[in-house]
Amino acid sequence: MPAGRPARQRLAAVTNENDENAGTTRLTRAKAAALSTTSDAHDLPKKALATKKSATNVTGTAHPRKRAALGDVSNVAKGAEVVDGKEKKPLAGKAGLVSKAAQPTGIQKPSRTNSTRTILGPKDRNTAPHELKRPASGSGVVGNVSKKRNVSGSSTKAIKEEETTENLAPSSRTTKTTVTVEIESNMPAKKEFTVKSTTPTALPEAVEEEEVPDLDKEDGDDPLMVAEYVVEIFEYLRELELTTMANPNYMESQGELEWKMRGILVDWLLEVHTRFRLLPETLFLAVNIIDRFLSMKVVQLDRLQLVGVTAMFIASKYEEVLSPHVQNFRHVADDGFTEEEILSAERFVLGALNYDLSYPNPMNFLRRISKADSYDIQTRTLGKYLLEISCLDHRFIAHEPSRIAAASMYLARLVLERGDWDATLARYAGYTEEEIQPVLLLMIDYLRSPVVHEAFFKKYASKKFLKASIVLRAWAKKWAPYYLGEDATTKSAKQT
Amino acid sequence: MDKRHPSSFQQLEKLGEGTYATVFKGRNRQTGEFVALKEIHLDSEEGTPSTAIREISLMKELKHENIVSLHDVIHTENKLMLVFEYMDKDLKKYMDSQPLPPGYDSHGGRSRGAGGLPPDTIKSFMYQLLRGIAFCHDNRVLHRDLKPQNLLINTKGQLKLADFGLARAFGIPVNTFSNEVVTLWYRAPDVLLGSRTYNTSIDIWSAGCIMAEMYTGRPLFPGTTNEDQLQKIFRLMGTPSERSWPGISSFPEYRQGWQVYATQDLQILLPMIDQVGLSLLSGMLQLRPEMRISAEQALRHPWFAEIHQRYGGIQQQVVAQQMGQQGLNQQVMQQGPGPAGASYGTSMAQGAY
Repeated sequence: MPAGRPARQRLAAVTNENDENAGTTRLTRAKAAALSTTSDAHDLPKKALATKKSATNVTGTAHPRKRAALGDVSNVAKGAEVVDGKEKKPLAGKAGLVSKAAQPTGIQKPSRTNSTRTILGPKDRNTAPHELKRPASGSGVVGNVSKKRNVSGSSTKAIKEEETTENLAPSSRTTKTTVTVEIESNMPAKKEFTVKSTTPTALPEAVEEEEVPDLDKEDGDDPLMVAEYVVEIFEYLRELELTTMANPNYMESQGELEWKMRGILVDWLLEVHTRFRLLPETLFLAVNIIDRFLSMKVVQLDRLQLVGVTAMFIASKYEEVLSPHVQNFRHVADDGFTEEEILSAERFVLGALNYDLSYPNPMNFLRRISKADSYDIQTRTLGKYLLEISCLDHRFIAHEPSRIAAASMYLARLVLERGDWDATLARYAGYTEEEIQPVLLLMIDYLRSPVVHEAFFKKYASKKFLKASIVLRAWAKKWAPYYLGEDATTKSAKQT
Repeated sequence: MDKRHPSSFQQLEKLGEGTYATVFKGRNRQTGEFVALKEIHLDSEEGTPSTAIREISLMKELKHENIVSLHDVIHTENKLMLVFEYMDKDLKKYMDSQPLPPGYDSHGGRSRGAGGLPPDTIKSFMYQLLRGIAFCHDNRVLHRDLKPQNLLINTKGQLKLADFGLARAFGIPVNTFSNEVVTLWYRAPDVLLGSRTYNTSIDIWSAGCIMAEMYTGRPLFPGTTNEDQLQKIFRLMGTPSERSWPGISSFPEYRQGWQVYATQDLQILLPMIDQVGLSLLSGMLQLRPEMRISAEQALRHPWFAEIHQRYGGIQQQVVAQQMGQQGLNQQVMQQGPGPAGASYGTSMAQGAY
C-alpha cells in the first residue's frame, strides 16, 4: 500500500522527535538512577554516549568525545577534514548527529594539543569563513519532501494515519492505535502505560470562518492537556515572558565580546545539548540564562564558554528529571574549567539573575499553536528548527518567545503550503499575520544567509528532522528576494 | 542581588531538619520580626541542588496569601539561606496539639492528638489549601509534595503551602516527570502505579488524604512500602480492574494477583463528616486521575457554600479579605513569638520511596 508509506516515514519522525523530547535514553537514565545510588548517575551520560556511538557504527573508545568548543570552532581544518575524509554528501542519509559522533578521534587530538580551548578565541581567528558543506543534493531533498506532502494530500488514508500520528505528539505515550505500534517498538514497552483511550480522534478541520472553535474542550479527557487551566496558564505565560527578556543591545556594554561569539557559543552548546540528550526546553532556557546574564555582567572573552557551560548546567537542573553531573560539563568543555569554577560560576549566575528561571519556554507556545494546526508533525518539525534559529541569531533577543513561536509556525506552514493563517491559528498563537511580520523577515533573512552555525545546520539536516535546515534554506534562496525585497540578495549576512 | 548578609538575622532555635536543609527560627536584627531561615547545605560535588533552584525560582513567582512567602535568598560560600515568613506550626503539629474533645481523655485509651479538628476549622483549612493549590496550578506549577508537614498555620488561622523543593513548572502537554514524588502516604495511585505522566491531579489526591486526616487525626493511608500503600488504598477504595479503570494493566507497577477488595463507604471510616463534605472528599480521592476534581472545581463545591454565601459570592479576593476579619487575617507577617515547630518542609524526600 503505497499510500501508507509516507505516513510511515513521518511516523519515524515522530518517534525520533519523541526520542528527543522525552526519549528512551532519558527514561532509562531516570530509571537507572531510581534503582541505583547517586554515584552511578555519574556514568549515565557516558552510557548514553556509548550507546549512541555504537548505534552509529563508530568504533572507538567509549569515552565521551570531548572537544573544546573554542578549539573546535576556530579549528577550520576540522571542518575541511571531515568533508574530505567522508563522503561528498555528508548531509545525506545519516548526517547530523552521526557525523558528529563519527568525527575521527584524530580531530580532537590536535584540537586539544593545540591548546586552543579558546573557542571564542581572538576575534580574527574566527573570521575565517568556513566553506560550508552544503549538500549538493539539496534540491533532491526538497523534491522528496514535497512528494511526501503530495501523497498525503492525495490520499485520505494517509491523512488519517497522519492525524493519528500527530495526536501522538502531545500525548505520545497515551494513545493506543495500530499506528502506534511502530512507535512503541522504539520505546521501552513500559513507556505507554497511561492508556488514554480518549485521545481526541476527530480534530476539527481547519476552520475557515472567523468563528474560533474551542479546541481545549476536546482535551477535557486528556489529563496531560490540563484543559481546565490551559487558558489561564497561557495568559500568565504571556505576562511572564515580558519579565524575562534580555536586553537586545547588551553587546554594546561588553568589552571583549561580539555577537558572532555568542553565535559560536550557542552553536557549540547545541551540540552539547544533543550529546547529553537533553530536553528542548533546556536549550532555550540555557540561552535565555546566557543572554540575561550578559545583559547584567561584563564577561571576559576567556570566560564566555564558562558562562555557556554553566547556563546549560543550571538549565538542566531546572528542567531535566535527571541532569548530567558537573563533571560531564567540565569534560565537554575539554577540561577548560575546573568543576569548582563551574560551581562557583553557577552561584554567581544564579545570584545575578536573582534565581529567576521563570522564563516561559517557547516550546510551550509552539505546542500550543501546533494544537490549532492539528499537531501536523511536519509543520512542527520545521517549526522547531525555526524556533531554534532564535537561539543562535542574536537579533531575536528583542522578540518575545510567544511571537517567535508564532513566526516559526507561520513560516513552517508557509513553506509547506498549509493554507492561511486563519482565525483559529491567530487565536492560539496570539498573533495576527501582521504582528508576526518582523520576526518572520528575520527568519527568512537568517535562512538565506550563508550557514554560520554548522552544528545547528547539521543537526537539522538529518532525516529525523525532515532535513529541515536544507529544505528551508532551499526555500529561502528561492523566496527571500520576494519577501525581503530585491536588494536583499546583495547584502548578505553580517548578522552573526 | 541582595546585599543581605547572614548576620542580619539572629539565629534562634532549630525548627526542623531534613535531608537537604535545616530550618531555624530567626529574627531580623533591624526590624525585630521573626522569620524562618532555611539553610541549604551546598554539595561540593553538585553545587546548588536542583530542588533549591526550583524552589527559589518558583516561590519568587508564587505570591499568594495561601503560599508561604520567600523574603530573601542569601548565598554564601558553602550554604544557601532562604528567608521565609514565620509561621507558627505545621498542620501536623497543629493537629497533634489539639485538645481532645470533652470526654475523650477520661477514657484514657487514646493518645493525645488522636482526635481530629473541629469541622469549621477543617472547612476553613481545606478552602485555603485548595486556594493555594489552584493558584499553583493556574501558574503552571505542580507542588508534588503536599502533606500536613508542608502546610503551615499561623495564629491567625491562616494556612499556607510551603516547601516547594519537589515542585516544578509544567508545560502543556505535561512532560514526563520523575515518579519519585510525594511522600508515600499522600502519593496518588497513578504515581504509585509508576505513572510519569501525571498532572495537577496528583496534588488533589494529597489534598483528599489531608482532608480525611484532619477529621480523624490519623493519616488515611499510612503505607510502609509502595506495594503496601496501594493495598491500603485498594482496601478502602476497592481494587481497580481493567473494567473500572481501563488501561490500568499497562502501568509498570500493575500486578495480576492483587487481593480484590470491594469499595468501602468513606462514611464508615469518617463518621463525623457530613454528606456534602463527603461528596467533595470522594471527588478528590478518585483512583483514576482524570476523574479527580480540580482545585478550581473543588472551590466551587457546595460544601464551601457557606464561605461563599457569608460573603455574598463575591470575588475570591474580596472573600479572602472578609475572611480576614473573621480571624483568618491576611496580614502577611507574623509578629508575636509562636510555639516553635514549623517544619518548612525539611522532611522532604523522607519516605520518598
